[in-house]
Parts: sequence; C-alpha cells; structure tokens
Amino acid sequence: MLSEFSAIQGRSSGYWKLVALSSGVFLLGLGAFLAIEVRGHGITGMNNQVVWGLPHVFAITLLVMASGALNLGSMSTVFATIQFKQFTRFSAFLSIVLLIGGLTVLLLDLGRPDRMLLPMLYMNFRSMFTWNVFLYSGFMILCLLYLWSMFEYKQFTKVVGSTAFAWRVILTTGTGSIFGVIHARDVFYSAITGPMFVAVSLTSGTALSTLLLVGTYQQTKRHLDDKLVFGLRNALIFFTLLVGYLFVVEKFTKFYSPAFYEVETWLLTGPWAWLYWLGVWGGCVIFPLVILFHKRLGNTVKGVFIASIITVVGAFAFVGHNLLAGQAYPFDMFPGYQLSSVFLDGQDAHYLPSVVELVLGLGGIGLSALLFLLGIRFFRLLPAKAVPPPGWELPWSP
Amino acid sequence: MTMDRRSVLGLGGMLAAGVLLAPGLRLVAAPEEATEASDKRRWAMLIDTNQCDPSCTSCMKACRVENNVPLFGDPKRDIHWIRKVELRPKDGKGPDRSLPMLCNHCENPPCVHVCPTQASFIRKDGLVLIDMHRCIGCRYCMIACPYKARSLVYNEPPESASHNRKVPRRAMGVVEKCTFCVHRLDEGGQPACVEACSNEGKGGMLFGDVNDPNSAISQKLHQVLSTTIRPDLGLKPRVHYQGI
Repeated sequence: MLSEFSAIQGRSSGYWKLVALSSGVFLLGLGAFLAIEVRGHGITGMNNQVVWGLPHVFAITLLVMASGALNLGSMSTVFATIQFKQFTRFSAFLSIVLLIGGLTVLLLDLGRPDRMLLPMLYMNFRSMFTWNVFLYSGFMILCLLYLWSMFEYKQFTKVVGSTAFAWRVILTTGTGSIFGVIHARDVFYSAITGPMFVAVSLTSGTALSTLLLVGTYQQTKRHLDDKLVFGLRNALIFFTLLVGYLFVVEKFTKFYSPAFYEVETWLLTGPWAWLYWLGVWGGCVIFPLVILFHKRLGNTVKGVFIASIITVVGAFAFVGHNLLAGQAYPFDMFPGYQLSSVFLDGQDAHYLPSVVELVLGLGGIGLSALLFLLGIRFFRLLPAKAVPPPGWELPWSP
Repeated sequence: MTMDRRSVLGLGGMLAAGVLLAPGLRLVAAPEEATEASDKRRWAMLIDTNQCDPSCTSCMKACRVENNVPLFGDPKRDIHWIRKVELRPKDGKGPDRSLPMLCNHCENPPCVHVCPTQASFIRKDGLVLIDMHRCIGCRYCMIACPYKARSLVYNEPPESASHNRKVPRRAMGVVEKCTFCVHRLDEGGQPACVEACSNEGKGGMLFGDVNDPNSAISQKLHQVLSTTIRPDLGLKPRVHYQGI
C-alpha cells in the first residue's frame, strides 16, 4: 500500500542552508545578468565566432533535463509502471522548476532581454525558436495541469499525463532541432540530432530524479526503499544504452560520407576532442554503464548515485560539445582552399567562458533548486515513506 | 449615453491635435518614390576576383565610413559588414585568391527563416535587412548564416565625429550586417564598397538590377562564368564571383 503524501517539515538548519545557498546563487546570477545588460556581451567570452556560450549550455541542459524529469510520471501514467506512481507529483513539479530555470537563463542571455516579449508579438513559424516558445509554454501548462489533476481531479491524470508525454518528446526533438536543422554548420546538421537530445533527456532526467529522491529522503531521514532506486537504475541502464546506440549510428552515418571526413576527424581528434571522449562518451555512456553494470557498485544506492551524478555531468558535456564544438569548427565556404581574414575565417574559433557567464548559468540552477526546495516544503509532492507496491519485485539486477 | 464637459473638451482637444499633427507628419515623411522598394527589382553583385588586389582594402574602408561601422580593437568581436578573405589552395596547386565577403542577400535566406521575431526580413526588392528595433539579440541568425556575414554589437559603439546621419546609430546587443547600402540605393546610388572599388581599386565589383536585362550586371552574368558560395545549400545567393 502506498503511504500518504506529505510535505517535508523543512525546519532543519540544513534545509535553510540549502535555501540560502540556492537563493544566493540565483541572486548572483541576477547580478551577472545586470552586469551583462549594462556592459554588454563584451564582458563574456562570447564572440562573433562562438555566439552562444556557457549560459546557453546551462539553459539548454536544464531544458533537456526538464523534459527528462517527467520520466517517472510518464513511466507510471503512460506505461503503468506502478512502482513509480508515488513519484508522479514530484516528477511533474521537477519538470516545471527545471523549465523555469532553463528559460530564465535563456532569456537573460539575450542581447536585448528588454525585448523578450517580442517573439510573442511577431511570430515567425518557420523559426525553430518560435516553435520552441509554444512547446515550452505548452509543456509548462501541461505539467501544471498534470500536477493539478493528480491533486484534485484524478480522472484526468491519464489524459493529461499521456499528452504531456507526447509533448515532451516533441519538445526535446524541437530543442535538438534548433541545431539539427542548421544546414550551414557541418557539426549540427543531422536528422538524428533531435532524437539524440530526446535520448539524453531520458538519461539525464532519470539520473537527476534519482539524485534528488535519494538526497531528499536521506536528508529528511525518511524511508526510500532500495528496490525503487534499483528500479530507476535499470531504467537508466536502458536509456544509457539507447544514447550509446544513437551516438554510434550518428557517427557511422557521418563517417560513411567522404564529405564529412574532415569535420568528423576534427571532432574526434581536434581541440574539442577531450570533451567528446571524456564528457560525451565517458559521461553519457561509458562511465555510468561501467558503474551500473558493476556487480558490487551497481547494486548499491551509492553506486547508482555516483553513476547518476556522472550522467547529469555527461548531459552538460553533450550539450556543451554540440554547441561549442559546432560553432568552433570553421565554415568551409570554399572547399579545397585554406581561408584567412581579419574576421578569423578558416580558423578554429577560440572560446574561453568568463566568470560572469558561469555565474549566470549557475543562477538558473540556483533558481530551479530554490523552487524545488520550496516546493517540497509547501506541497505534498512525495510519499512520507517510499516503498514498492506489495508483490512487486525487481525484475533483474546486473 | 451622456458625456460631461471635461470629456467633450478632452476628445475635442485630441481631435484637434490629430488634425494639426497629421499634415505635419506627412510633411516630414520622405517622398514615396525614394523610399518605396520595388518588387520588380532584384539587386545583385558580381565580384571579379581577378581584379581584386590582395593589398587593397578600399571596399572595407568605404563601408566602415559609410555605415559608421566601428572597430573595437578586438578581432574576435570587431564588426565586419565586408571583409577581404584570402584563399590558398590546400594542395598548393593554383594561384592564391583574394576576394571580399559580405552578406549574400540570399533568395532563401536562412537568417530570415530562423529569426523568431521577423526582425530579419526580405524587402520587396530582395534585400535582406534587419529591423534593429525588433532584434532581440538571440543570435540564431548568426548560427544559421553560412557566410559569417553577421556580427553582434558586443560593446557600446564609440562616439564618432564623422557620423553618417543617413545610417541609424547602432545599439548594443543587436545583430547587424551589410545592407547593400540600402540608403544609397533608395537615392539611386550604388553601395559604397562598389563605388570605392571603382574609384580606388580596379573596378572588380559590379552592382545592379538583375531583373533588368539591359543592366550591366545582367549582361555580364550572361557573358562570364561565375559562381556563388556554397550553391549546394540552395540559398540562391545574390553575390556572384568570377574567377574562382
């Protein structure tokens, strides 16, 4: 029998320290935004070659994870994975707070944030950005309705939850397609970029949910059954294998065409190769799988926790590599020629993020964290005691 | 419905002000013929790279003066509406080339396709322009342009005594690029770079209306072998190159 939902007490000094920390980080992020607003993007590391920098990496990763955070809800509502039903409220709420954090950073990094409402007034339906405005706002509304239905109108949960599931797949495909549709950039342009973003949202969302569940239950000294964590581990394993599969397919397809030899060789051996091998392959696929399949580590909550941290870091690396390496690779405007100019044509673009960008990006995480902390204190989002339903057994373990 | 005296006076005052101001606004508006773009025209450029001297930068200098394009002293963030690009064959075979690169004012411009606010737009005569008041500085157009033709204004532009008042002051945080000197075209002139190339260089830049079969550019495009940059992208650029 599932236990009653209850908000955490939130009276401990540890809780308030976390609230103060996340508030502080968010306020610092606002300070960074004001500094950029007053002095211009000249104080960032961005330039006319790398026009989207660290704030975009933070923003897009948060948005990818926002979609993935709905995993537990979707698994329960759409795929009848009953052991996770007790986490559906948490799942929908986490999606909302991550979405808010990501969108805030995205908007505050605009060159003219004072005009942020203009995309609502002058829409260009050919732009992926315009589609994403609808996809993000629609997803937010659906998550709120999903949450509301779980609290008040349970008869609508299935419909709203299923719609939210379909929406999140389209949403993350849309996020990936911001890059995937850009024909001019050899690194970005691929039909599989969108699905790769969806797969990474599945891993990172599951990993972040695991981290927050384990952390919250441990810190509040409430009971979270290990079997549930291992159930999440199993899901994480399959999602990670899916990510690895798509990475291989993408590279295989690109390497099959001689037209892509140069750019692909550059990606695997060039200045951003460290991030590709260590962050993208290591963080998104290899390290988590090694831990999760390990006989001893994979069967401990600690091991799953560590693998989840690496997966979340891997998601940042995946987005960062796509974004930064994709812009750093020089345009091949005249195939067969080496280019040079005062505008740095033909050169690998250099990008060194500034502290102010880092702080702006972290500000988004601070905002999401703050909203999450307040949410679990004021709403009944989590069961007082998280145990598997009677008769449910873990199907398999590595 | 009844109206009190104050409302009647207010409405009457507004009506009077409107009647008085409307002709005034019309008086300060530019003549229609000069500003109205014609959809019968299609501006294009042909650059003969054989005529382009690597040491000549007259097109770049003229553009900076004409359009008040500042230099910030930071190559990574300097704004370039037009730049000279040096080409060296990777296999060492064939001559080096030098040519100017600028916005190609494509027929299918990816910058316009991705702009979420329609700040980047195509004018009736095919010019790809930016509404500086609508640009939110999202930089998606810079990501999408394969010619690296756009720059973000990263810093507050310095005050200049020789400011050309026909070109609006630029604002920090928005994206900008070559306009083919739209203000000159609307007055019947030529882009500043073309004029400078003709006066100070070897006259390797030809500009005109390709919809006019009698224009010099139309005739030359029929006579010589020319190409565009990355024709494989299907953008149909309007800057043509001869000699590469």
